[in-house]
Amino acid sequence: MTKATCESTRLIKRRNLKNDYYSFTFAPFSAAGRCRAGHFVHAKLPTGVVFFRRAFSVAAVDTDRREVELIMKVMGRGTRIMAGMRPGDPVNLLGPLGQPFKPPRKAERAILVAGGVGFPPLLFLAEQLMMRGHDPGRIVFLYGGRSGADIIERNRIRKLGVDLRIMTENGSLGRRGLVTDPLKAVVDGGVASRIYACGPEGMLKAVNDLAQNLGIPGQLSLEAPMPCGIGVCLGCVVPLTAGGHARVCCDGPVFEIGEVAL
Amino acid sequence: MTPDMKVTIAGVEFANPIMTASGCCGYGEELARLYPLSKLGALVTKSITLEPRLGHPPPRTAETASGMLNAIGLANVGIDAFIRDKAPFLARQKTRIIVNVAGATIDEYVEVSRRLNDVAALDMIELNISCPNVDQGGMEFGSDPQWTERVVAAVRKVFSRPLIVKLSPNVTRIADIATAAESAGADAFTVINSVVGTAVDIETRRPRLTYNKGGLTGPAIKPIALAMVDAVHSRCRLPIIGVGGISDWRDAVEFFLCGATAVQVGTALFVDPDAPLRIVRGLRDYLKRNKLTSINDLVGRLEKY
Repeated sequence: MTKATCESTRLIKRRNLKNDYYSFTFAPFSAAGRCRAGHFVHAKLPTGVVFFRRAFSVAAVDTDRREVELIMKVMGRGTRIMAGMRPGDPVNLLGPLGQPFKPPRKAERAILVAGGVGFPPLLFLAEQLMMRGHDPGRIVFLYGGRSGADIIERNRIRKLGVDLRIMTENGSLGRRGLVTDPLKAVVDGGVASRIYACGPEGMLKAVNDLAQNLGIPGQLSLEAPMPCGIGVCLGCVVPLTAGGHARVCCDGPVFEIGEVAL
Repeated sequence: MTPDMKVTIAGVEFANPIMTASGCCGYGEELARLYPLSKLGALVTKSITLEPRLGHPPPRTAETASGMLNAIGLANVGIDAFIRDKAPFLARQKTRIIVNVAGATIDEYVEVSRRLNDVAALDMIELNISCPNVDQGGMEFGSDPQWTERVVAAVRKVFSRPLIVKLSPNVTRIADIATAAESAGADAFTVINSVVGTAVDIETRRPRLTYNKGGLTGPAIKPIALAMVDAVHSRCRLPIIGVGGISDWRDAVEFFLCGATAVQVGTALFVDPDAPLRIVRGLRDYLKRNKLTSINDLVGRLEKY
C-alpha cells in the first residue's frame, strides 16, 4: 500500500465546470506525485458543520507543482461546503488512500466506463495511460450521464486522442441510452480487452455482470461513505462473492470484476 | 524541567497517558503505517470474541452532529486468528497492548480471556461488558451489578494479569456497576462505552443503521463521559481510563481533573489519525506552563462548588 500523508494544504483553484460540478486544485500537497488513478484523498473541511472527512477520487495531479485536482458534484452538506470555498482556504488532506487501478498491458485494449460522478478516476486513468505511452487507439472511453448537463471536461478527454463515446439517457448529448449499452459491441472487437468502471451502483452491477458473462477481466471503483478512510472503523464494508466483507477504503475502492457481491 | 508523562495503572507503567480506544484502530497495523505506535501510551485492540464475527450488514455507521453512530456488531477475526496473525505484530510494537474482550456468554468471556492469559504480546485485557450493538452479551452484562460481578469474577479466575472493565453509560447508576466490578476483582475501569442512539432517513423512513440503533461517540458524548468519570471516581478507588469525545489536549485535561489517570482517543482517530500525538504534545506544554511535574498532579483535582 502506498504511504499516505496527512497535510494541511490550500485551495488554489476552483472552477465551476457545469451546473453542480466543480473542479478544485489543492497545493502544495507533498504526496501528489504518489497518487495513481483510483487512489482517493480524504479531505477535512475547515468547518464544524460536517464531522467526518470527505473522500474524493483524485482526478489529476501535477507532480512538479505538488498539485492535486479533485472533481465533484454537489450532492450533500460536505460537497456544498466545498463548493462555497474560495482560493486560499485551508483544507487538510490525507492520502493517497486505497488501492489504485492496475493499468492494462500496452497490447491490451482499455475500455473505460464512466457514469456521472464516477468520471474523475477514469479521467486520471486515461491521462496516466497516455503519459505511459499507451496507444490512444487502444483506449475506449465510454462516458454516460442522465443528460448533457452531467457530461463534463469533454475536451480534456478529446485532447488525449482516445475513442470517446458519449451516452445520455435523454439523448441531449451523444447517443441516447445507457453508458453500458455499447459495451458489448466494443468488447466484441476481437482484441484482448480490460474494463475499468466507476459510477452509480446500478451501472457497476451491469458492467460487472456483462464482463463476467463475456469473460472480460477488469476492475470497478466503488463508492461508500467512509468515516476513517484508512481501514480502522469498518464502516465502509461491502460483501464479497467469496463470503465475508471487504473495506472499500483500503481493500478497495478498486476491486476486480466479480469480486464484490453487487 | 520536562514534565513526567508516565502514568501507572494496576502496576503497568505507560510512557504517556494517551491510548487509542477499542474499535477505532483495528489491531494496530493501519495506524502503524502512519506513525510509530511507540508514540502511544497504549493501543487497545478491537473487541475479540471466541469465533470470528462478520458484524452487521452495512450501513453500520452514520454521521451525526459532533459525532457518529456505529453498529459494527463486534466484527473481528476471532481469538485463534488474533493469536496467530495479529499478536506477533503487536508484540513487536514498543507500546503497551491492551486486548479488548467480548462475548455472548460468561463462558465465552472466560475462554477468550483464558487463551489470552499466556499471550506475551499483551499487557492487560479490557472487558467489554458494554457494547450496545449485539443481541447477546455486551451491554446486558454491564447494566446489572449482579451480572457484572459474575462475569468479572469468572474472568478474574482465569486471567492473572491486570483486568480492566469497560463500563456502559446506558445505566441508571454507573457507580453501582463499578462497585460490583471492583468487588469481583477488577483492577481498573474504562469509562465510558458508546451511548445508545439512532438516526432516521426521513425519505426512506428507515433507520440509518441496519441494526436500527447504534452507539453514539465523538465530541457529542464528552459531557456525559466526564460526568460518569466523576461519578465513578467519587465512589471507587480503582484507576479510571477516561474515554468519550476526546479530540484535543484540553479535552484530556478535563478528564484528568474529573478523575481519569489515562484517556483513550476513539472517534477522533477517524478524522485525525495523529490526534493522540498532538494531544501528548499539548499536554506536555500544559504541564510545563502550569509548572506541574506529572499527570498525577491533575488526576481528580477538580475543584467542585
